[in-house]
Amino acid sequence: MRVVDVEAGYYPEQTVLQGVRLVARPGHLTVLLGPNGSGKSTVLRVVYGLLRPRRGTVWVDGKEVSQVPAHRRVGLGMGYLPQGRSVFPGLTVQENLEVGTWPLPRPARRAALDRVYERYPALKAWRDRPAGILSGGQQRLVELARMMVTDPWLVLLDEPTAGLAPVAAQEVYEEVARLRREGRTVLLVDQNVRAAVSLSDYVYTLAFGRNQLEGTREEFQQRMHAVVRDWLRV
Amino acid sequence: MTPALLMEAMVNGVFLGLVYALVSVGLSLTLGVLGIVNMAHSAFVMLGSFFALELLRGWGIPPVLAALVAAPVFFGAGAAVHRLLLRRTASTSEAMGLLVLFGLLLVLENGSILMWTTDTRVLPWQPAQAVLSVGGFRVALGRLVAAGLALGMIGSLDLLLRRTLLGKVVRAVGQNPDAATVLGVDVARISMVVVGAGTATAAMGGVALALMFPFAPQEHLRWLAWAFLVVVVGGLGDVRSTLLAGLLVGQLEALAGVLLPFQYVYAVLYAFLALTLIFRGRGLQSAQERVL
Repeated sequence: MRVVDVEAGYYPEQTVLQGVRLVARPGHLTVLLGPNGSGKSTVLRVVYGLLRPRRGTVWVDGKEVSQVPAHRRVGLGMGYLPQGRSVFPGLTVQENLEVGTWPLPRPARRAALDRVYERYPALKAWRDRPAGILSGGQQRLVELARMMVTDPWLVLLDEPTAGLAPVAAQEVYEEVARLRREGRTVLLVDQNVRAAVSLSDYVYTLAFGRNQLEGTREEFQQRMHAVVRDWLRV
Repeated sequence: MTPALLMEAMVNGVFLGLVYALVSVGLSLTLGVLGIVNMAHSAFVMLGSFFALELLRGWGIPPVLAALVAAPVFFGAGAAVHRLLLRRTASTSEAMGLLVLFGLLLVLENGSILMWTTDTRVLPWQPAQAVLSVGGFRVALGRLVAAGLALGMIGSLDLLLRRTLLGKVVRAVGQNPDAATVLGVDVARISMVVVGAGTATAAMGGVALALMFPFAPQEHLRWLAWAFLVVVVGGLGDVRSTLLAGLLVGQLEALAGVLLPFQYVYAVLYAFLALTLIFRGRGLQSAQERVL
């Protein structure tokens, strides 16, 4: 997955991303870091098609996909876990997962649900509960499971541990590591620099909507303290 | 006032309430799921009445069958309204959408006046005039058929929304359209389905109303007011709450009709609306969130 010289913003007079470049190598876990407002989440929104770039291109599996609408991205093998809560609160856990099967061919839906319950057995106990009454960590698990219904090979995670208790956050990090072990391509945005970097293969940092640094985990770890100090000054 | 007359009024109130619920459920759905206030809703109710009239006059098709024919025809009309009008105004202000739908209401109303004049019509279906006597109660067959039709359609819609994947996706779009998009749902297409279904139920409601009341092209705004009353009382987007609210409104109207002079009937209904808004601002629906 490649992001090439992307410029994007939410309002005509405002440009959030100013020529961002990024590569998420197949089977690797790439981490995107930066201070608040640097444009990390905007990069994921552009990659998933929720925000059209004004300039530049996004390439997935060798195809230019910048103009492909967001609802077709699942068909390209992409999965996206947006920032914040995104369960359908009035639908049960089972119904939330069923909505995730919508883009699949009808005969494949049952098997996809079975596979997800096998992968996340804890969900079985909550399947008939409205998702809105679950705890933050449980809702996060439902959101992750719902994303995995279509078995994506390219996974975009936007601050998956935000607002979670430490134990729940640790479980999410373990799931992120599992995605990486399974050979999926993962692009992770996270506020917890230390935890995210420890999982990563490659790290990018953004500042003011521009590329700042990039390097392997080992390269970044050597400079991590200086970089974070710099962000805190910003 | 005899107990038998009171009972008869209550039975009529149930019939009336079921039809009010059918007339309102489409408005509730489009408002609850899509946030669209369909000002043209009652024009489609009126067109549904004339649709039944034309099918009966032209081909002798009875009203129940006409309602079933109306479903796909008006679903298509609603889908076209979404594709040609609402989709284009979706990215503009809400006021623009309201204005466009109000414009559509005027076009449909005036087009209907050109076609059918302002004369008041009655559906010339003889069985509707028959009166059944069941256990001492007198029930007009037309009302019974209209209520049965309404109950069947509302039940089908409720089953569709709760039991089918399409229904679950519609409810998901109503709760979080962005999350639905991320999961691969084409929200624009689902919106088109919702507007189509809302328009189809409006037209079927029009067929049911034609079995109970005379109708004319310029008199549909009363049904828009009634539909808003039911939606406000019942809360948004929930079929069962809309049914309950329709039944309440029907009961109130029927009982007020026999207990009070006619001029007080509307006052009672609007007082009920005011009290509902004051004490239960989100309607009778007990859900904490706006959920389907």
